[in-house]
Amino acid sequence: MTSFAADRARRTTQVDRWLAELLGAEPGVALVAVGGYGRKELLPRSDLDVLLLHGGRDDIAAIADRIWYPVWDSGVELDHAVRTVPQARRMARADLKVALGLLSARHVAGDPDLTERLRAGALEDWRSAAPARLAELHASHDERTRTSGELAFLLEPDLKEARGGLRDVHAIQAVAAAWVAPAPGPKVRTAYEQILDARHALHEVTGRRLDRLVLEEQDEVARALGLLDGDVLLRMLAGAARTVVYAVDHAFRQADRLRGQRRLRRRRAERRPLADGVVEQDGEVVLARVADPAHDPTLVLRAAAAAAQAGLPLAPRTLDRLTECPPLPVPWPTAARDSLLSLLGAGQAAVSVWEALDTEGLVTALIPDWERVRNRPQRNPLHTFTVDRHLAEAAAHAAELTREVARPDLLLLAALLHDIGKGWPGDHSVTGEVVARDVGRRMGLPAADVDLVASAVRLHLLLPMVATRRDLDDPVTVKQVATAVRSRALLELLHALAIADGLATGPAAWNDWKATLVADLVGRVAAALDGDPMPGPAPLREDQLALAAAGDPAATVRGSEVTVVAPDRPGLLWRAAGVLASHRLAVRSANATSIGNIAVTVFDVEPEFGDPPDAALVVADLRRMLMGRLDVEDRLDRRARAARPSGAAVPAPKVTLVDDASDTATVVEVRAHDAPGLLWRVGRALGECGLNVRAARVETLGAEVVDVFYVTDGDGKPLAGEDMRRATTHSVLAALGDLTPNRWSGHNSRAAGSGPDPGTTDRSVAWCCV
Amino acid sequence: MKLITAVIKPFKLDDVKAALQAFGVHGLTVTEASGYGRQRGHTEVYRGAEYQVDLVPKVRVEVLCEDEDAEDLIGVVVKAAQTGRIGDGKVWSVPVETIVRVRTGERGPDAL
Repeated sequence: MTSFAADRARRTTQVDRWLAELLGAEPGVALVAVGGYGRKELLPRSDLDVLLLHGGRDDIAAIADRIWYPVWDSGVELDHAVRTVPQARRMARADLKVALGLLSARHVAGDPDLTERLRAGALEDWRSAAPARLAELHASHDERTRTSGELAFLLEPDLKEARGGLRDVHAIQAVAAAWVAPAPGPKVRTAYEQILDARHALHEVTGRRLDRLVLEEQDEVARALGLLDGDVLLRMLAGAARTVVYAVDHAFRQADRLRGQRRLRRRRAERRPLADGVVEQDGEVVLARVADPAHDPTLVLRAAAAAAQAGLPLAPRTLDRLTECPPLPVPWPTAARDSLLSLLGAGQAAVSVWEALDTEGLVTALIPDWERVRNRPQRNPLHTFTVDRHLAEAAAHAAELTREVARPDLLLLAALLHDIGKGWPGDHSVTGEVVARDVGRRMGLPAADVDLVASAVRLHLLLPMVATRRDLDDPVTVKQVATAVRSRALLELLHALAIADGLATGPAAWNDWKATLVADLVGRVAAALDGDPMPGPAPLREDQLALAAAGDPAATVRGSEVTVVAPDRPGLLWRAAGVLASHRLAVRSANATSIGNIAVTVFDVEPEFGDPPDAALVVADLRRMLMGRLDVEDRLDRRARAARPSGAAVPAPKVTLVDDASDTATVVEVRAHDAPGLLWRVGRALGECGLNVRAARVETLGAEVVDVFYVTDGDGKPLAGEDMRRATTHSVLAALGDLTPNRWSGHNSRAAGSGPDPGTTDRSVAWCCV
Repeated sequence: MKLITAVIKPFKLDDVKAALQAFGVHGLTVTEASGYGRQRGHTEVYRGAEYQVDLVPKVRVEVLCEDEDAEDLIGVVVKAAQTGRIGDGKVWSVPVETIVRVRTGERGPDAL
């Protein structure tokens, strides 16, 4: 790649000489270059940042005129100031931009002592006020990120202002000047030169002082740099920007620590467990002392999911240690898949965690095909982001739509993979289906789920295409889409995916106009498709049937499977879940069914942390509960700790009553973000409405829960009255609304029983219903 | 000179574009629009009063042409946009005083 460094140095020397001539021999006066000119980085169209420094001369105005006028006349943009050393220092103390400019002050002509006094004074001021100044610097960085976005992922990035751009390197230098972090290392300096050269070429090519690398200039700029084309240029810039971002984040963390030191000194560093082997410390996610990366392949995703769900960053040293993790076995264990889904389900919080993993090469270790879309630009006026970032953004938007689909887990995966085919030649929907199928199998998804994800990837453009280009009133249009989609489950997925994809593409790709058309199409196609049957409880195995036939209350634990058999009575399901929760067992799924008057409930559980509890103790407690000799609520109450708000913003829960799914019961479907106490509260809410749960299927998909309850009223009939139905929906929603993500004793329980709210609980009611 | 404006069903845009191109029109402006005509979108009765709840998505196409082409152009658009069902849209023309091509400063028919 062509370097323009020599050109910049030559231009700087020429300007230095010219200004020195203009100043001539004047005592007690100095010309000082600041900002970019101070750093000897004069690009073809850069303006000159010059400070005329003096010791209090009365005739300084005449000297200034002598210098500024010829510069103005030459057409060069001039940013000028005339000050004494104390004035300049005062200005810098009041204005961050001035202060940063002075950090790169350089003597050009006149009295060198004057310049030296300014340099030393400005540095002294900067260091003595470092905590406040660095906080200001950090805030300005955040503001720039908000307005200019991130260089690495934008298709038309601002090379100077965007996150990862030139200003961020200046920020690192400023933090270093305060002796808080080391100066930029060789990798960052190389990255800086690459971005600076690109900006140089942009000035050269356009003949204007531009910072934003717009699409139409990219090929030309690439040629000026000796690169093949705009795509190569953008990939190079993305790599450079990622290096800068990593360094600037580190510098700001050091700076924040300096600021926090005084405040933190009083209390000890607190470690809060987030997941097995993962804790929070000082606002970062780090590994617990017991964690063993070298022998724990699922730790990467577990730590990432915990970080995203808590809305915290992974500490750099933790990321570093995570690279020691062995690769995941293929197919992935269920725990790894759940963690990935929990990570993606965190929405926007997941994007930065995903980027952090990617910087360490951990994403390509998980999904090798990711390498082909990494930093890949797209030539398309609709798109805002590179392909990899677009995929992460689409998954984040999909997380907002998890309540709209029966399979939130498959929606998140489809969103993450929908454009993965763009790494290959040909129609990306077609190549994407092949890749998605392969990735789905590697992840260990059941064959039917692999099919759904792969079909969603293949058809992800179908709905927007047809909705905007075909006659929706024509029955043939609807029939063709219905034939292609075949099931409502896939239609739902495609609808949510179209929205997530559109929102992640850019403002031009999705709006109300398009949303209305797509929704209209979806409504028509849905009417043409048969509804999918509601999932009922899974059939029982021989041994479970035998237990039920014996008719005695019984509880068994076999591996991760807990079976509870008892004469049917209200409250069995959720009280049993409460017992499991009290043993720190998270309910991943539950199946409740009854044979005659014997209820059989099968739970699939996993321990929250470390080793599973003693099965004998769990069985003993379940038996005591069945005999009515264990007050689970009381036990969980004592466990309950103050609620800690989760960092991830999750969509509101959704409760739907479905009538045509069963003749003998009303089906209540609950979709919500998983939280401790969910099953407990939903069950109790149904009970408070006087309903009995005849059967249930509870499933945790990543961090999302889809629960289906078959309920009847007090007379054993489906819910009839509209008032009754509305009251049921309301009370379940109200119960879910109470669900702040509680964490007991710092532990994070997944699906069952947190402390119920004593103020709203009538225990006798809670006991005899459900 | 005339400005022809057509509000049509979105899926008819490709047909209309093709027809206009065949007629020799080189430039047009397309806007995503919403509205309703006699089809009235989708209405709902709420406590006795009728409420308009939906605007129907449409596409608005605008073309500039010389006076003598206006009638033919309207015919071309109507033919291409017609399905015969309700909600097909409208086409109208209005006189235009001045047209300037921004790049060159050309005026009048030269700027078309």
